[in-house]
Amino acid sequence: MTNPRVLALALAAALTLGLAAGAHGESTASRADPGVTATSVLIGGTTPLSGEASSGSLTARGAEAYFKHVNARGGVHRRKITYRYLDDGYEPARTVQAIRQLVQQDGVFAIFNSLGTAHNLAVRPYLNQVGVPHLFVASGATTWGKEFRRYPWTIGFIPTYTAEGIIYGRYIRKTSPRARIAVLFQDDEYGKDLVAGLKRGLGSAGARQIAAQQGYDPASTDIQSEIARLKASRATVLMVFAFGKFAIQAFTYVDRLGWKPKIFVNAVAASASVLTIASQQGKNKRVEGAISIAFFKDPADPSFAKDAGYKLYRSIMKRYLPSANVKDGYYLAGMASAHAFVQTLQKAGRNLTRKAVQTAAARLDDRKNPFVLPGVRVKTSSSDHYPLEQAQLERWRKGRWVRFGGLVSAPRA
Amino acid sequence: MSTGALGQTARIGLFAAAALLIAVLPRFVSDFRASELAYVAIFTIAILGLNVLTGYTGQISLGHGAFMTIGGYTTAVLVVDHGVRDLWTIPLAGLVAGAAGFLFGVPALRLSGLYLALATFGVAVALPAVVRKAEGLTGGSRGLQLFGLDSYTGKGFEPVEVLGRSLSFNDWLYYLSWTIAGVLFVLAWLVLRGETGRAFRALRDSEVAAASSGVNPAAYKTLAFSLSALYAGVAGSLYALASTFVTPGTFPVTLSLTLLIGAVVAGLGSLWGVLAGAVFVQFLPVWIDRLSGVEAAPDWVQRVSKEPGIPSVIYGAALIFLLLLLPGGVGGLVQRLGGLTRGR
Amino acid sequence: MAEFLQQVVSGLSSGGIYAGLALAISLIYRATGVINFAQGEMAMFTTYIAWALTEHHGWSYWPAVAFTLLAAFVGGVAVERLIVRPVQGVSVLAVVIVTLGIFVLLNGLATAIWGGAQQSFPPGRPFPVRSFDVGGVVFSLQDILTVATSLALVACLFGFFRFTKAGLGMRAAAFNPAASRLVGVRVGWMIAGGWGLAAVLGAVAGLLAASSLGSFDPNLMRPVLLYAFAAAVLGGLDSPLGAVVGGLVLGVALNLLGTYVDFIGADLRLPSALAIILVVLLVRPAGLLGRASVGRV
Repeated sequence: MTNPRVLALALAAALTLGLAAGAHGESTASRADPGVTATSVLIGGTTPLSGEASSGSLTARGAEAYFKHVNARGGVHRRKITYRYLDDGYEPARTVQAIRQLVQQDGVFAIFNSLGTAHNLAVRPYLNQVGVPHLFVASGATTWGKEFRRYPWTIGFIPTYTAEGIIYGRYIRKTSPRARIAVLFQDDEYGKDLVAGLKRGLGSAGARQIAAQQGYDPASTDIQSEIARLKASRATVLMVFAFGKFAIQAFTYVDRLGWKPKIFVNAVAASASVLTIASQQGKNKRVEGAISIAFFKDPADPSFAKDAGYKLYRSIMKRYLPSANVKDGYYLAGMASAHAFVQTLQKAGRNLTRKAVQTAAARLDDRKNPFVLPGVRVKTSSSDHYPLEQAQLERWRKGRWVRFGGLVSAPRA
Repeated sequence: MSTGALGQTARIGLFAAAALLIAVLPRFVSDFRASELAYVAIFTIAILGLNVLTGYTGQISLGHGAFMTIGGYTTAVLVVDHGVRDLWTIPLAGLVAGAAGFLFGVPALRLSGLYLALATFGVAVALPAVVRKAEGLTGGSRGLQLFGLDSYTGKGFEPVEVLGRSLSFNDWLYYLSWTIAGVLFVLAWLVLRGETGRAFRALRDSEVAAASSGVNPAAYKTLAFSLSALYAGVAGSLYALASTFVTPGTFPVTLSLTLLIGAVVAGLGSLWGVLAGAVFVQFLPVWIDRLSGVEAAPDWVQRVSKEPGIPSVIYGAALIFLLLLLPGGVGGLVQRLGGLTRGR
Repeated sequence: MAEFLQQVVSGLSSGGIYAGLALAISLIYRATGVINFAQGEMAMFTTYIAWALTEHHGWSYWPAVAFTLLAAFVGGVAVERLIVRPVQGVSVLAVVIVTLGIFVLLNGLATAIWGGAQQSFPPGRPFPVRSFDVGGVVFSLQDILTVATSLALVACLFGFFRFTKAGLGMRAAAFNPAASRLVGVRVGWMIAGGWGLAAVLGAVAGLLAASSLGSFDPNLMRPVLLYAFAAAVLGGLDSPLGAVVGGLVLGVALNLLGTYVDFIGADLRLPSALAIILVVLLVRPAGLLGRASVGRV
């Protein structure tokens, strides 16, 4: 007969024995930073290769292609960059495991271009504790720049969603101060940041212009109900702070319901392919004249055909990603980040340490990033931890984005 | 049933050997690997509970991730918002989840088979929305950050003192999870061996017959639900501690499906198979992800395995294959082998 | 008032999408007693096939649709014979897991082959884009025809099951496999045929959804799945008409709840659908129009 006490004893004995014999001591701290040799540097990141956000993983591929291009030209200070990205399925719990693997097992030098707000929030304290550069986070949340003092190893890249909202708010205040505004937003931190920015841009007087705001659950099938509610507010301006398919739906349902507002659509959702689909080969007139902002060059924009940066983009794509869709802006976005990273490595110097990279990342001043709009500077300083702060408004005209108005500063939020 | 093949002493010996192996394993593997194996322990606990529920009383739950969510959030909220020491929250998380399991189990009595599966699937899908809505309690989509808090043992990175030895944080996670897994494993074993286990098996084989021989189906089915929910709650609590940051996305729908997959790979009703199931669900995605880094693999394999969508293709295919080969899971395989040796 | 009616109309439109998939789910349940968790992904995958034919291979729309429906039928039969049949005898759970495996596989496969970006059919496919404004309430022709298609399919199914030999065979095979075999019904092929048919229904549902929503991607059907289950349960799992009615009722109910009950709003729509599933299963398991008894004996 099994005696539970015997069992418990066996368990306890095994455990004590194991503790005595099996536990790890402190891992040997190496003096040189991990991931760096005289001829190579290993960096890592997470990206959603599976799951609902899998398009976002294209930024990692774009970045990887750019690194290969740089390596083919000798690398940075004669070091070749290896970029290892792991799939986190867009789940923050998996991001934690993947980052742990990259840092503890693979010994990467730095983390680069990890995608997702919650995903990076999950690993930020850990990376800062260990002192791993957490660079050019692929998320527009304000916190990366705002909490730099607390988390000095972490830095974002693209203009924040709040800043984008502010730009729209200021523009509306200037051009349509009496318009009634309806706001559709994704009901998470991403959407809420945009709304907060919009209100700030409108100012206290302008905030009254907002007649209705309607959040939607990103897990829903469709947003017809939300659009119908917003239409009932009889607004003349509609802000679409949504993602991919919901942005398309917004245009589709606005048209179907016979509502004719002027539409603003946020940058992440405003790729040329999304707007093209939404316009339904020109049948959906609501798309014409839609406004957004841009900070990267749009590979689907023919006005860049002769641009040196664009040509570089095409040649890299042709060489390293020949079967990919060149017009997809995600690849270019990845290359823009990769370029900034290479600049950072360059600045950190031949004696490559994590500390040097951290310092360099806070002292960037690059006007020559070939993938950002002409005139946009990649700049950081001790008081400015937002690398990209400029954008340009653009209007959808006859099947493409046309930029107007010159660069505006995307105010630090 | 898988429990018949070995004698009692042999089984205790097997258990002791396994315990010893688990106890000394960290010495032979890297620090990081220890954290991965900690997740195996966490899944073992959750799958154990699910296996008892489905394998022994035949109630299908596609929503056990919901109980993990409840347990995980109990721990996170207590640790972050109320400064409660994380260790105390583990049994609490189990109890809260167990209570939820009881509350669900009662109406669930009226549902059977696929209807229960549907209902539990609904719970798994709907719970993240409720968690997000209850922002005041759960922090909503902003999440709860445990890292660096005093009430969080090891704070997410510091070594932990246990019995005079200093454990790295990963090792601490490992021993914590496996100790609890061991205890709960023994508990499950004892419960299943006894009268409760007999009642469960009777229910699975024929509810009508069981009722006529004096077993109260309602009581035992509800008990099974509560117990399995308790296990999932404890697992959820450990999962939150391992993840250090808890948002509604920490416990997605896929988690519920993962647990069920683990239970089926284990082989319903097989306690030892649960280990295999846990290893499968933890490591298959990892192995798929690492395919691209395997030097020995041909170039095209390395490239293709990093294409968006391919990891899912491999995972789905592997799952289907495994089930076609071993529909009874690992436990079923062991049983068949056991049958062979006995010369049937 | 106009706003209320508009919400009802959009509810019917969303409901039409749920109904399409619910129909397929209820058919498989009726024919084989199995809940196919991969139904949505199969629908999505067949939608991509139609799209790829028109977009990349220059087919025109209707021939592509015809081919797709055929491919869907064959695919459904293949899935049943090759993947589901071998595990059917083991346990209900094994079948569920296998369909989950198919779910994951198809989702990844579509992403891998065609990418994760949004795609769309040309406008006017399958239905012309036209809206009518009646007293401030806007209807779209697309939605009307979507619902009409689902109802037409229900009628076809009714005719099929009632009046054709194959249909009768399927019903017999589902109701009493042993007895059916004795009278010469090829039970195995009947079940496979049921899966094939359901896949065809799913393909239609996918095409309608893609057109109604304006675009599609590999995750087209993922959010729809729970609502489709809710619709099927609400209407009665074994009643095709119930699936459609359930879908429409669900769509309207969720819209009205979301609009007029502040607490629910847009955030708690999914939990509301769940609540509906639970209430129906507990109070009236047969659903609005179903008849069969619930659960195993």
